[in-house]
Amino acid sequence: MRRREKAFHWSLERGDLLPLLLMLPALLLVVFTMVIPLGYGLFLSLFNFNMGAMDLGRDFVGLGNYARMFGDAVAMKSIWNTVKFSLGAIAGDMLLGTLAAVMLFQLTRREAAFARPIVTMPLLISPIIISLMWRYIYDPQGILYYFLGKAGVTTATFPGLTGESTALLSIIIAHWWQVVPFYIIVLTAGLVSIPQELYEAAYVDGAGGLRAFRTITLPLLTKIYMVVLFISGVDTIKIFDLIYGLTGGGPNNSTISISIYAFNQAFSNVQMGYAMALSVLAMAVAFALFGIPFTSFSGKRR
Amino acid sequence: MIIKSKWYYRVLQRALVLAMLALAVVPVYIVVSNSFRRALDIKRMPPKLFFDPILTHYSRVLSVDSFARYFINSLIIAGCTTATVILLGTLAAYGLRLFRSRLGLRLSNIMMLGKLVPSITILIPLYIMLNRMRLTGLYIAPILAHAAISVPFVTWLMRGFIEDIPTELLESATEMGATRMQTFFVIILPLLLPAVASAVILTMQSSWNELLFSLTLTNIKTYPLTVAVARFTGAMSVDWGKCSAAATITLVPIVLLGFFMQKYLVTGMTAGAVKG
Repeated sequence: MRRREKAFHWSLERGDLLPLLLMLPALLLVVFTMVIPLGYGLFLSLFNFNMGAMDLGRDFVGLGNYARMFGDAVAMKSIWNTVKFSLGAIAGDMLLGTLAAVMLFQLTRREAAFARPIVTMPLLISPIIISLMWRYIYDPQGILYYFLGKAGVTTATFPGLTGESTALLSIIIAHWWQVVPFYIIVLTAGLVSIPQELYEAAYVDGAGGLRAFRTITLPLLTKIYMVVLFISGVDTIKIFDLIYGLTGGGPNNSTISISIYAFNQAFSNVQMGYAMALSVLAMAVAFALFGIPFTSFSGKRR
Repeated sequence: MIIKSKWYYRVLQRALVLAMLALAVVPVYIVVSNSFRRALDIKRMPPKLFFDPILTHYSRVLSVDSFARYFINSLIIAGCTTATVILLGTLAAYGLRLFRSRLGLRLSNIMMLGKLVPSITILIPLYIMLNRMRLTGLYIAPILAHAAISVPFVTWLMRGFIEDIPTELLESATEMGATRMQTFFVIILPLLLPAVASAVILTMQSSWNELLFSLTLTNIKTYPLTVAVARFTGAMSVDWGKCSAAATITLVPIVLLGFFMQKYLVTGMTAGAVKG
């Protein structure tokens, strides 16, 4: 039996007035700090604005700031770097995270209780501290090259942060160090949820460990992979802190990301309009790579 | 999955796990131990396992570079952010639960789309706005930004936990004459405490560790630790002793907090993914 209620009550005990009031503070905060700036930023990206007085007629450039990006080699490089970083970071996170999660899952309960706090530690450390750590590790006179030198690898063969070809990879490695633990934690929760009987049945049927993994574990973890990809994959497009601390975008712009370039344009060159257009581009890349696949995926589930 | 295994496989697997744990600990150990080493010992290769620990780097960083002040700034910013986010997020989550239409669900899903907006896209216009209002350089500026980033996620997390509370429990409270807010404070809130703990550690660490917003929205009086550390590494020649002490001061409190709230940290992170 369906009871029709009046659409709105001016009473706190019935209807939607109380829920609206409860949500209002959070909504106001999000509107003031995210929605309005976003709209204001889109508006600014149409102007040639450098923090001085702005004349709505004179400084209006339309889509000029967006057109300018295509003639700007550094901007193009920053897009390409961001995509490369994102793909490299995610591929490693997934692969290493899955391997490590399966390994850790074999531990006894007591061993796991010992290992878990150690595994989660990198997640709690600020990316800027992590960049400091790895800058010390990658120092040509530092500890990594001391041990690599024993194996015959020098800065000439692997220049690390100072080489144009290896700097981005070096940053990706530092990223893995921090984010793989997140994949481990979440995938472990997924592994726990898979009934053990499935594996027992598979082993009775003569399946090996690898085949059990491919036919049982992977398919049952698909949903978790999708969500984890959305939560942490999006963050790779926003990459700022690690690069800021490790290379600042260099050498020769070989590690510059969209966020770093937009930040420099805004706060070093005071080209606010152009910087805003660049950061809108960062958002567009995030939507294209993660927003559209994710919304279509969650749409299918319903 | 449990892999049916031979003894040599088990040995290999334990060795790999140990190597992994070492990989997680060594970089942190290097920084923390360097903060107690003389400049000469930091440069020495191979590093000595045993050395005379000194506290000079700490005394210099805390007094000359006023890290004591930045530490308090970080505490104020992260503390206020967390309090705001928990208060607003929990209330909003209860509001979403009371909403009769499916609009509530859709609203919380839309809020999650905010995750797709990069910080830099918000930062530039927000900086201009707050600058006009003369709010940059005050604590309120980074607190607003950090709270706005975390509130959608915490609302969504709390909503998940509130959904799990059986409806009968809430209905019986209503039958006994409790108002909706009484039900919230007497029945829901106590049951939500573990979820609140998860939200606290997650919000705390994201605000404590945040760099980009703090970098532009604060000034020398209100710098949090991350910004102060970033200014150290920006220098051409890095003083590793000082940097390591600064890094240790920044990472130890939050790592310790995470260690004691381990259980809640893991539930918070996995609830985000597993409930989807």
